Amino acid sequence: MLNWIEQRTGFVSLAKDFLTEDVPGGASYWYVFGSATLFTMIIQIVTGIFLTFFYAPSAATAWESTRAIYLNPYTHFLIAVHYWGASAMIALVFLHLLQVLIFGAYKAPRELQWVVGVLLLLVTLVLGLTGYLLPWDMDAYFASQVSLNIVGLAPIAGPLMQHIAQGGGSMGTATINRFFGLHVWLMPAVLVALVGAHLAIFRHNGSAGPVVDDPRTLRPGRFWPDQFFMDGAFSLVIFIIICFLSFVAPPYLDQKADPTKFFVPYPAWYFLSLFGLLALVPPELHLGPLTIGTELIATIVGPTLFLVVVLLIPWLDRSKGRSFASRSGLLWITTVVIVGIIALTAYGQITTMIKQAAAPASPPESSVLAAAPAEAATLPGTAAGGSATSGAGAPVFANNCSSCHGAQGQGVPGAFPPLANNPVVTGDPNKVIGIVTGGLHGTISVNGQSYNGMMPAWKGTLTSKQIADVITYVRGSLGNNKASAVTEAQVAGYKP
Amino acid sequence: MANATLTIGGIVGLTLAVPIVGSLLPPKSSATGSWSPLSAQELDALAKATAKPVKLTFTLKFTDGYLPEQSADEYCWGIRVDNNAKFAAARPDIFNQPGGKADVPYDVVNMNFVLFSPICPHLGCYYSWHDEQNRFMCPCHGSQYTFDGTHVAGPAPRGLDPLPMRGQSGNAQVMWIVYQSNTPSRIVVSYQA
Repeated sequence: MLNWIEQRTGFVSLAKDFLTEDVPGGASYWYVFGSATLFTMIIQIVTGIFLTFFYAPSAATAWESTRAIYLNPYTHFLIAVHYWGASAMIALVFLHLLQVLIFGAYKAPRELQWVVGVLLLLVTLVLGLTGYLLPWDMDAYFASQVSLNIVGLAPIAGPLMQHIAQGGGSMGTATINRFFGLHVWLMPAVLVALVGAHLAIFRHNGSAGPVVDDPRTLRPGRFWPDQFFMDGAFSLVIFIIICFLSFVAPPYLDQKADPTKFFVPYPAWYFLSLFGLLALVPPELHLGPLTIGTELIATIVGPTLFLVVVLLIPWLDRSKGRSFASRSGLLWITTVVIVGIIALTAYGQITTMIKQAAAPASPPESSVLAAAPAEAATLPGTAAGGSATSGAGAPVFANNCSSCHGAQGQGVPGAFPPLANNPVVTGDPNKVIGIVTGGLHGTISVNGQSYNGMMPAWKGTLTSKQIADVITYVRGSLGNNKASAVTEAQVAGYKP
Repeated sequence: MANATLTIGGIVGLTLAVPIVGSLLPPKSSATGSWSPLSAQELDALAKATAKPVKLTFTLKFTDGYLPEQSADEYCWGIRVDNNAKFAAARPDIFNQPGGKADVPYDVVNMNFVLFSPICPHLGCYYSWHDEQNRFMCPCHGSQYTFDGTHVAGPAPRGLDPLPMRGQSGNAQVMWIVYQSNTPSRIVVSYQA
């Protein structure tokens, strides 16, 4: 049977050629990172293809179809594997590049393989960036808004590039279509083509092998089945980790994107270092009479220069051999850069967490998924009849109160009083219920400051449950407020 | 070693195949149709009609995947049946169960009316009534049916499909059902438009 196929196609000898390759010095677990990256790419392609069976790219359907994906346990698992697989793939590309850097495997004649490898990292990052938008929930929207605005910062062609990427002057349904085209067609095609080139160059030059004085002394090992098994075993470990995380920590779907709401976006972890860099630099530098805007430098000029340097490493490294001793300078710089990236990542993470702690909390996923698509944009709190919780009140506050009282309840001087650290708010709950249900006008005084803005009566606009939720949130969660919760019954039974 | 490698491939492949196949297989459907109100004027016309069917229009509400509730204009054909026994005798493709019971789990004749799905049981085209021939005729493959829905010509494997009807607080309502095409028996496929 195999003979019959072989005689007519040559596929069997092709497969044998593919699997027959010398591994200098024998198979080793040191060589598994490239194969494991390829493995995660295949996982991403397989899960991604089947996710397109359920996803529809448009502003009217992106979030709705993603919600349906979350509601079906099978597709929920697929999207979770796709989510964690993306993180695994990016982590493995980083590790693979780092390993090649440490072992000097980029040296002649493998310079172009290094260049293709760095380009593969870039394509993988673009895939991560474009995929982030597709669920079209709050974080997807606002995080992509940030990256698109950064594209717009680029000199000369920036605004045009932003316009092309988002399909218009602002984000909308065209943006989803373009990101979908990029994420599902263009970038995967480029990725597969570059991987093909990467492997072809690899087979042309052979494996670099361990760092030794004379490579000719190394005994050759077998790729199949020895190295292939090690690649497979490591890939299986990666796969088990991905599946485990998919079960215990599936991605979170927030409410549908709403540009009018206040939201602190959270970047994917692999962009946190860039985020941290942007948060670290002051907005402007003053050098005598010169004022330099640093935003452009931190977001575009710096990362681009860094990328060019990384691409040129095979030519910048003039050392003769691959030994650690002859390349100690480069290895020290690498160490410093890695520590720097980790530090910036940690800084980005901390600043995001601080900002998020001050912002209204996102609702629990169960309530996002439970709401019917049409009314999901304005969640009416948690299940009816339950006790009021600050979690349910946060979206009510964000939708109705934050435009005057501020997202953190800081108020507006002279017009609207702060709700954070306001003794009236944390005092008699009945008085608070009266103000929220019946409104308030005329000049009032809080903490020695006077305010004359008008508070509308919310009774009729909001349900008793929503009013109870939002008062509970305001009394218990804004600023240092730690006052007691208010129940729906208290609101319903309130008499002026 | 080679076998161990192939085993790893099998484990990964199976782990992915289970959710992929599971997501594609049809879910266990407990869904039933919804009732759509019929127009009083059209029912009135049907009550007066003797030898001609009447087209009854209604708005069908249904869910479609992740989309919010959809509605579509639909219609069915109504005929007046004055003699239940005569109708049952004329339609052995419906009343073919033991004891002369219908093969559908609802009363076919209600308030002296029978409603027919407008979908030809052959391959799903919409047929129409032709006065000159005194027949329901399907434009696609030429299946023909008499006034009471009996299949008389063309490739269709069964007569016209009845739809459930009920009276509810003074209004008549119809339930939309799509039956499997081209089978002698009636198998529910969906309640969607």
